[in-house]
Amino acid sequence: MTKKIDQRLPQDSGATKLPCYAAIKSPWEKMYGFREAMRYVTRYEAVFGASILQGIRILIPDYEERAQTLCQAAFDRMYETAQKYGITQDYLLNMHPFMCGEFTGALIGDEGDDAMMMPGRVQDFGTYRCEKELDACPWDIIGSELCRATTMSLQAQSKGAAERRREGPSLDYAMVEARGCGDRHCRIVAENREKYPMPEHPLWQSFGPIATADMIKFTPEEECVEDPMVFREECDFRFANGTNLEETSEMAAMVQFATSSCLYFFPMLTRCIAEGKLDEKMVLHVLKCVLEASGKAAFGEPYARLAAREWLGVPVEAPWDGRIMGGHIEMMLQALMCAYEVEAFNKDEVILVIDRKGLEISNGWMQTPCHVAYWNGMVKTLVSPQWFVFEEGSTDKQIRVRICKKIDKFC
Amino acid sequence: MYRNIFKYDDMKRAEHMAVRESVGWYLFTHQLMQVEGEGAEAFLDYMFPNNIATLRPGRDRYTTMLDQQGEIIDDVVVMRFDDHFWISTLFPSYMDDWFYAHQGDYDVDYYEVSDDWHMFAVQGPRSKDVLNALCAEPVDDLRFFAHVENSIDGIDVIINRAGFTGEKLGYEVYCAEGDTDAIEEKIGAAAEQFGGRRVTEFQVMAWTLPTEAGFYYMRDLRHTNPFEVGLAGNINWDKDFVGKAALERVREEGPAREMVGFTVAESDIFIQAKQYGGPGEAVYLDGEEVGRVSKLVYSYVRDTNCGYILAKKGTLHAGDVIDIHGFEAVICPKNWLA
Repeated sequence: MTKKIDQRLPQDSGATKLPCYAAIKSPWEKMYGFREAMRYVTRYEAVFGASILQGIRILIPDYEERAQTLCQAAFDRMYETAQKYGITQDYLLNMHPFMCGEFTGALIGDEGDDAMMMPGRVQDFGTYRCEKELDACPWDIIGSELCRATTMSLQAQSKGAAERRREGPSLDYAMVEARGCGDRHCRIVAENREKYPMPEHPLWQSFGPIATADMIKFTPEEECVEDPMVFREECDFRFANGTNLEETSEMAAMVQFATSSCLYFFPMLTRCIAEGKLDEKMVLHVLKCVLEASGKAAFGEPYARLAAREWLGVPVEAPWDGRIMGGHIEMMLQALMCAYEVEAFNKDEVILVIDRKGLEISNGWMQTPCHVAYWNGMVKTLVSPQWFVFEEGSTDKQIRVRICKKIDKFC
Repeated sequence: MYRNIFKYDDMKRAEHMAVRESVGWYLFTHQLMQVEGEGAEAFLDYMFPNNIATLRPGRDRYTTMLDQQGEIIDDVVVMRFDDHFWISTLFPSYMDDWFYAHQGDYDVDYYEVSDDWHMFAVQGPRSKDVLNALCAEPVDDLRFFAHVENSIDGIDVIINRAGFTGEKLGYEVYCAEGDTDAIEEKIGAAAEQFGGRRVTEFQVMAWTLPTEAGFYYMRDLRHTNPFEVGLAGNINWDKDFVGKAALERVREEGPAREMVGFTVAESDIFIQAKQYGGPGEAVYLDGEEVGRVSKLVYSYVRDTNCGYILAKKGTLHAGDVIDIHGFEAVICPKNWLA
């Protein structure tokens, strides 16, 4: 096979080609602005995360055990993060020394929500009670266990934030509504248990009930927002919190790509493997099986294949070959701000050399085999079963992904 | 639904009213920037629109800090000591960057000392009694916006007569970080003797108490200029300062907006305000958006919802009755203690 690169986009297209307006650009020069790219990649990552969670459901069948394990891992990971990097957040979020107690953690959660395309509004922010309502959440398809775990990561951030100043009241964070459970909103209410007594609960039971349900401010459907502040005109396209932190979409992207839903899953699995609760080979086997099937389902319907061509701007006369799959992966990588190079892009094969750090970020090594399995499933229905996506010649720093026809009697 | 988070909260009410009726005390440590050097006075006089050069040792002065567009990026209290200044700020990282950007040839050094000091606010009609019971030297003669060295049970403190509550009598007790526990215990015991109580709720110390007095906190001032928010009165136009050229244009043309007060009599309301983040609830007059709600809290003194609207200049007048998100609001001056 040749390493020829057909006439296509310049290899360095994308944000750097448009210095004033970041965008992603397909190999057929179809462009999408930053907002659409963010929407696309957050949902892409959510679907990927939903598949991973299905694998975890097979590996840990009991709901309570699974949810507790996820919550504990999320709490521990975020508490450690808060201890290591929290002081930076104090300055960024303008937390003052007199803001004593765990309520300061709500500021951290609020900023993260908006950056991760989860728009909404803070309804209460006080020492003994906080309330945040989200109208949209790209992660609402992943599973209720994740909703519980995200709440516990906020709980951990709050604990860490409180420990950086003089002692103050603790808060019990609960996600009393969750879009991942079918509710209209996600709603976090944090209450101090001395002021608002409720029975103690294990970590995973982080959905409430709460003591101050009558204080909830419920935004009706017609007043809900779809975009975070950084994409809304009435906000001057800036996130602004109550303590005067202002951020543009550039910061939103940074937070987004660093915090995919898998950040909750892979570290938890790694811990279970280290503790001997799960077998590494079995974990990878199950995840690959689920992800390959999930990838196949993505383009199983004929209209989905056509929509993919439309999304990528593939000309009508262009044939169905590996370039379509390659272009699909490129769009995701660009939106994720993951560096890559095109080694080959022709009717016979596509080779993408991907920056390993950019794809795996802080999610660990499992991210790559899972993504490759996902893409390998996709190419079967997007292009044809003759095509495969697989790793070949990867290094510690680079993931070399090849898309080509081959025959595998054990696939 | 929408049960008022302030009105029915006995704890918030008690903490708030302790300040209004007897004495309330609380840890209220802001970040502190220490500024020193031969050129410190001239430098700060350039950085702030209000007069700093005329500030005498032992006295304080409130001032805004502006960007080149004349927008407020901080409002601070400058405290002058014999050989240095303290600036009480809520945005030390912005201030550090801004000072660095304008330092030029000024012989000045500045650094944050927030970790070295804590501050307790002791506020309310009985605050002087509390301080006199605690301090080695009486504070009777201490004037507003003045500070002196003193001691409490042998522990060195700085007593500053100032506050963020609108109370005529109010003090700030600065102590070294290592003495914080001891000072906290002594203030608590003394305050109890005079019927006081500790304020623990952030919403009371940062929102309800200052708002009743018409004071601003953080987001209220963001992207405003001093003319729009009534803070242009003490600007020294005879000197050069950062943002002067832009602010002179505002002075000539008149401000585009103004901060007005409003009340809502209905108890259980749902109105978004910028203090929580976001754009704030839109305020319409005859179908046209004329402003956004900056702040919405509760006046325990007047027993009503109260707040601020940043509105187009001249569109809203005291006594106007408007609709905000389905709730009837009345425009008024933004001071509920007057």
